[in-house]
Amino acid sequence: MATPAAAAHAAHEHHEPQSFWRKYVFSLDHKVIGIQYTVTALAVGAIGLVLSWLMRLQLGFPGAVGAVNPTNYYQFMTYHGLIMVVYLQTAILLGGFGNYLIPLMIGARDMAYPTLNMLSYWTYLLSVILLLAGYFVPGGPSGGSWVLYPPQSITAGTPGSGLGITLLLASIAVFVVSATMGGLNYITTVLQMRTRGMTLMRMPLTVWGVFISAVVALLSFPPLFVAGVMLLFDHLLGTSFFIPTVNVLGTVLPHEGGSPLLFQHLFWFFGHPEVYVVILPAMGIISDVMATHARKPIFGYKAMIVSMAAIGVISFIVWAHHMFASGMNPFFGYIFAATTLVVAIPSAMKTYNWLLTLWKGSIRFTTPMLFTIGFVSTFVIGGLTGLFLGNVAVDLPLHDTYFVVGHFHLVMGVSAILAMFAGIYHWFPKVTGRMMNETLGKIHFFVTFLGAYLVFFPMFLMGFQGIPRRYFSFDLVAFAPSGLDAVNAMVTVAALAVGAAQLVFVANIVWSAVRGREADANPWQANTLEWQTPQIRPGHGNWGPKLPEVYRWPYDYSVPGAARDFIPQNEPEVAVVSPAAGPEPEGAGR
Amino acid sequence: MHGHADHVDHSEHQAHLPVGVYLRVWFMLFILSAVSYFVDYFQVEPLPLRWVLIVLLALIKAALIMNYFMHLGSERLSLVYTILLPPVLILALAAIVIAEGSYISMIRALFGG
Amino acid sequence: MTEHQQAAVAGGRRSAWREIVADFSRDVRTYPFGWSKAMMWIFILSDLFVFGGFLAAYAGARMAATQPWPDRGHVFSLTIGGAEVPLLLIAIMTFILISSSGTVALSVAASHERNRSKTAALLGLTLVLGACFLGMQAYEWTHLIHEGFLPSSNPAGASQFGATFFMITGFHGTHVVIGLIFLARVLLRVLRGYYDRIGTWEQVEVAGLYWHFVDLVWVFIFAFIYLI
Ligand code: HEM
Ligand SMILES: [Cu+2]
Repeated sequence: MATPAAAAHAAHEHHEPQSFWRKYVFSLDHKVIGIQYTVTALAVGAIGLVLSWLMRLQLGFPGAVGAVNPTNYYQFMTYHGLIMVVYLQTAILLGGFGNYLIPLMIGARDMAYPTLNMLSYWTYLLSVILLLAGYFVPGGPSGGSWVLYPPQSITAGTPGSGLGITLLLASIAVFVVSATMGGLNYITTVLQMRTRGMTLMRMPLTVWGVFISAVVALLSFPPLFVAGVMLLFDHLLGTSFFIPTVNVLGTVLPHEGGSPLLFQHLFWFFGHPEVYVVILPAMGIISDVMATHARKPIFGYKAMIVSMAAIGVISFIVWAHHMFASGMNPFFGYIFAATTLVVAIPSAMKTYNWLLTLWKGSIRFTTPMLFTIGFVSTFVIGGLTGLFLGNVAVDLPLHDTYFVVGHFHLVMGVSAILAMFAGIYHWFPKVTGRMMNETLGKIHFFVTFLGAYLVFFPMFLMGFQGIPRRYFSFDLVAFAPSGLDAVNAMVTVAALAVGAAQLVFVANIVWSAVRGREADANPWQANTLEWQTPQIRPGHGNWGPKLPEVYRWPYDYSVPGAARDFIPQNEPEVAVVSPAAGPEPEGAGR
Repeated sequence: MHGHADHVDHSEHQAHLPVGVYLRVWFMLFILSAVSYFVDYFQVEPLPLRWVLIVLLALIKAALIMNYFMHLGSERLSLVYTILLPPVLILALAAIVIAEGSYISMIRALFGG
Repeated sequence: MTEHQQAAVAGGRRSAWREIVADFSRDVRTYPFGWSKAMMWIFILSDLFVFGGFLAAYAGARMAATQPWPDRGHVFSLTIGGAEVPLLLIAIMTFILISSSGTVALSVAASHERNRSKTAALLGLTLVLGACFLGMQAYEWTHLIHEGFLPSSNPAGASQFGATFFMITGFHGTHVVIGLIFLARVLLRVLRGYYDRIGTWEQVEVAGLYWHFVDLVWVFIFAFIYLI
């Protein structure tokens, strides 16, 4: 294709010397951009983690950290929630894994439009800077919670309701732009740039997960952008989209006739699909890692794809289950409870498929595999409690209690993070050419996995007792049971232990990148294309002079009669490689 | 290097519309815009009929633009469905938001606010 | 490509299901054109959700508003020779934007023939029409602001009217500006013979798609904001 991308490829094939800046900073190479995304997201995620410690310390040992007060508790909560959901998970799963893996797994030289890809990273970085800038402006960052509901998020009395919320909304709008640029690339690359033989139904499930997730992101982020712009208008220009007549601290605001529920509809039209934007790539990663380390074909490959697509579609019509208690039109409860329960079907299907993949596999209990099994467990518990909340009658008493906190942390917080770790341990040898340390990895896994249950499982019980979420202190909650303090203290200790385990992870990354055992080209004996590159750590262009050709699906593990227990995708049916493979298929029409 | 192949491939597939078609569509768009303008100008009664007419005319205009100007009609059906099916989702949002708006105005009429 | 057409034509009729399955089962690429056109279509779909979101929010805000919605025929009228003509300026703007869509369509047709001068001339005409549209929009805005209409309030009823009006037409106007920059860049490249050098003129078509989309959105803005 004689397009800028192809021109760039042509240039690279001549191996022009590249400056340091071009190679590592303003790089057009999808692998470098993927690593930039990953590192940035992990760094912001560390901030989100520290914020959760501060909140947990206050809840477990009230007053122990004198610096935490109700105002900054709300700010920590807001930033923790947004950082974890948007700036860590969305960024790392789409921007990090998506960028690094898509072209390698489908046998392309790069993304369709590398310049746009680079811009996507730099706008993401800008959105992170805008977010963090909130801590350096008068009034501090916003404390409006991650859902940013008006009127409270922009009215006096809420922390950071001046410049703080302005910066936060700007940051979100910029993030949407960045995600759009990235998403356009992922979708177009998957649809138009596959190598010869790579049909859609031969793509690894990781690529499917990222692809469907990118589609969902591209269609669900626009309403968030719209809601953000309108909230900025209300805040800066004095419009009344979302603000009815309100009396704040004795002053009547100059607004009238706005509808707070309108914001909630727009927000959750984004908010619910967003959890699938995060979980779909995670599901893909889990499927690939699981098949590889269980040495078995994934069970129900087509069912996996169909269920991911179904989840993607249905996720758009369930959003108002977050609003059962909001005072919306009560009739909507029927519709949205029904659709919500329907979305459980494809999710359950996937779980059965994972269990049946493990069934009678020759499982290798490597660190990535442990994280994968952990994912299935937390996803089941989180998902089942989601069914509780999908029913209006059950949701009303549980809404805004710790039950909800336990539910979403397990189903999207912990699960997606476990999948992210599985992916990092699995593909680290590809990125660095070295293996990660298994002992440290196992310590990391067991503390994180068991710790996460200790942290979040008691929250279900707290929720049944009616303990409200988003409370700085329970001193004045009359109905708090007597054991609450002890449970909260235990949860905090577990949370700190989980946090400490992440330090082990960071140490492992740093140590292994420098000193780790050198990996061979295909350390896990996997079938997917990214392990079949000519060099272990391919340069820009990935494949040398000739693109690979694909002959089979990615799950030919333990095929009876085969010489080895895996057959890479680019291995022809006949074990003899014909020397006269056709020319590069890129763009050459068939 | 593959550019030429790309083009041939592309033009073979692209249905070339004669210039006359563009001019006719252009003319139709004017007429339809004018009709919707006059539907409003003469304040066609009853109100629901006026709204239905205006939306209908807008949809016909949109269909003309997509079919002829954007060539969607001569594209592969895989593309056609990719573009035409998903907007159903945003229509769902619009429907719910409109229902919610009328519910709110009812509540406001009943209880003030 | 013949393979494409064979799959498509079943007894003279297009067999929808078979055609779609054929495209999605192919390796290398799903749609039979370059990535930039595919990317533009997908972008248009996403942008459609942005405008759809804006218009849905407009409907919701308008339904819930507590003050009456102003009469647009009156608000957007021009006085000519003492008589008040409702929506005259908007009608002219619509006329101009549709014409620019027509010229871009002709320009794309000329680009398929690789006719450099014709493509460039029609693109230039589009640029002029687009600039006229923007100029008239600027006039409309200043006129309204002069009469006391602001995003936060207006003399003729619900404040949400001014808010949605400025927000949505402003966002559309931004798209027009971006479109003009995009078209100008393509025009320069046509004049310099760039597309002949790289062997594909697809970018003219891609820019055209974007411009038609801006026109398409205007159709709905015209119907929903000005008329209904
Ligand atoms: C060890 C890990 C974590 C701990 C200890 C933790 C702890 C907390 C705490 C204490 C709160 C405030 C609850 C309240 O006051 O009502 C909270 C809220 C929240 N967390 Fe986490 N969290 C962790 C990881 C995550 C992850 C990975 C995510 C990603 C999805 C996440 C998403 C959220 C969200 C969305 C909120 C709600 C914020 C709001 O109400 O506005 N958390 N978390
Ligand atoms: Cu939800």
